[in-house]
Amino acid sequence: MVNAFSCLVKRKVTDEHPAKNEEIEKLGAEIKREIDARFGRSLAIRELDAGSDNAAEIEINNLSNAYYDVERFGIAFVASPRHADVLLVTGAVTHNMEIAVKKTYDAMPFPKFVVAAGDDACDGGIYKGTYAVLGGVDKVLPVDLIIPGNPPTPAQILAGLLALMKNAGKTR
Amino acid sequence: MTGTLPHREDAASKAIREVLGGDAPARATRGPGGEWYVPVDKSSFERAIPEIAARKFVLISLFCVEGFSPESRHSLLYVLERKGSILVLVRAVAGGQATSVATIFPSAAWPERECRDGFGIGFTGTSDTRRLLLHEPYPKDFHPLDKAFTNAPIVTNDDVPAADEYPFKAMTGEGVYQVAVGPVHAGIIEPGHFRFSVIGETVFNLEIRMFYTHRGIEKLAEGKSTEDCVKVAEAVSGDESVANVTSFCMAVERLSGITVPDRAWYLRTILCELERCCSHLGDEAGMLTDVAFALGSSQFSVLREEVFRKNAELTGSRFLRGMTCIGGVSRDIPRDRLADLAEFVGQLRKRFRVGLSIVLSTPSVIDRFSTTGVVKRELLRPLNITGPVARASGGRVDVRLDHPYGVYDRFVPVHTPIADGDVLARFTVKAQEFLDSLDLIERLIAAIPEGPVQSNEPVRDGYALALVESARGQNLCWVRVKDGRIDRYKVRTASYCNWLAIEHAVPGNIVADFPVINKSMNLSYAGTDM
Repeated sequence: MVNAFSCLVKRKVTDEHPAKNEEIEKLGAEIKREIDARFGRSLAIRELDAGSDNAAEIEINNLSNAYYDVERFGIAFVASPRHADVLLVTGAVTHNMEIAVKKTYDAMPFPKFVVAAGDDACDGGIYKGTYAVLGGVDKVLPVDLIIPGNPPTPAQILAGLLALMKNAGKTR
Repeated sequence: MTGTLPHREDAASKAIREVLGGDAPARATRGPGGEWYVPVDKSSFERAIPEIAARKFVLISLFCVEGFSPESRHSLLYVLERKGSILVLVRAVAGGQATSVATIFPSAAWPERECRDGFGIGFTGTSDTRRLLLHEPYPKDFHPLDKAFTNAPIVTNDDVPAADEYPFKAMTGEGVYQVAVGPVHAGIIEPGHFRFSVIGETVFNLEIRMFYTHRGIEKLAEGKSTEDCVKVAEAVSGDESVANVTSFCMAVERLSGITVPDRAWYLRTILCELERCCSHLGDEAGMLTDVAFALGSSQFSVLREEVFRKNAELTGSRFLRGMTCIGGVSRDIPRDRLADLAEFVGQLRKRFRVGLSIVLSTPSVIDRFSTTGVVKRELLRPLNITGPVARASGGRVDVRLDHPYGVYDRFVPVHTPIADGDVLARFTVKAQEFLDSLDLIERLIAAIPEGPVQSNEPVRDGYALALVESARGQNLCWVRVKDGRIDRYKVRTASYCNWLAIEHAVPGNIVADFPVINKSMNLSYAGTDM
């Protein structure tokens, strides 16, 4: 039987993970400070695939694996745009997704921010000027920040969100 | 490329002789990948199709090519597979009208709609005339793959009248109600629409609408140089970058007669298997997330992140992009890095087994997985269901075995057949395949020869078919190069076939089990929509 009190005073049995990434820890601490100050300790993100090749989705999902675990920094991915502060959009916006993209944005409460993640979302990428897409996310929604990359790595996405937080403090 | 029928007849050439008969064997030509092309006219086509179906051929693809046959503008290529041999019926269509074969080969249903959207080909006798790739905003009579259309932004309809909205199959009866899900889902996944017709909690019918991420990949490739098209092939589906680039490069190498150096094939194969590892680890983690078993799920997602990091260390890309190129690989991986990879793989195997034993000894997980989302074996051939999904339903299909490419004739994957067809079977098959991929990587590293990693032979004009086994199953591509540029890049991923398996696997289950059934197949939306 484990004594609950001894758990509190004894040395922890778990070790620090050897693969701890200093870059992520530093970014995380900084972003947490910004979120604590400006968003009441919690930033709610709604992810939206507007025509991506799914690599960016995989990297955004990876932000929740045990290596990054961004929820500890106050970042939560939410199921509904109604709960979101940030719309994180990937992919060049296709004609087939245009209506859904607009409806998702409209469903978000103010104040709201739009981040375009990945080269295709930034400016249309390799699909620029073709029949099936409108172009980057800025063709449909007011974009506050772009995160280039094919796809951007989890660290780059985190760095982008930090820049957004800092900028949000200045402009709004 | 004209060849004579070989001494030991394969199933395709036998069908040419016995089913088509007449002068068909003389008119048959052999493609550089060993596939047989036979031009057929309307009457012999209509007569032959049921007989070819009776010979257990599987229609693995159907697509249209402009300017392929001299006698007419459009040609339809019906790609049929049987026992490792491939028969391509070339039907020159006059007046843009062809006969539907969807009642004989159900796997033709989507491709026929695709040919109608892309080229304006009409199919007589079809039961489904709805558009597939092009949703409501696209103007009527717009056919992007028509050569007369130059790829440029188009004007779409902003307002779609209610009468023009996509008609889903109507399900009526006492207590039947519909649940409409998507295209934007609750999780971080790609867009698609699922229309459930439900009685109580049980799904009575599921209709899937895809192609929300239709990005015009095939048109985008047109007119590009073959090197530039490598980037397009990588963008077909992010987590299948290696598989799709490999099939594209294989097709170009075949049509140009380029010999890829041995070392390059070893490296390519290592990359293909690493991609499979990433995909399968993600699936195992995802299935466990969907039954709320976080302990198991995080074990596998941690391992997956480590593979992604190893990928970046080896190639500079977490998705192994920028490595496979026409003629081989763009750069070598040094010996010490490979030795390091072998060591990493050994560790990975041990830790995966720990995670697996936790999962398989947890009754609540087995209870959710077992008997959920069964894919019946009799659906495999008519729908061309492929990959781990087919292998978990008793199918013995794997491109690496059926049409060995590169070094897979020497490094043969091992499968343990499972026939249950449920989520548990797919979970188990993927676990076994993951371990098998690790074995393959170790054996490849141990045997890799020294030598060049790229051939500098030039690309020529011609056409060729290539099949590879991606993590999700059989990926097909057909490339035609004309005047040094891509004239047609047809690509069909395993997901495109397996989406229809979900429509059959979900009815009879409760709505709450849909996520885990969907994840157990892990289909790419991007790779389907293109």
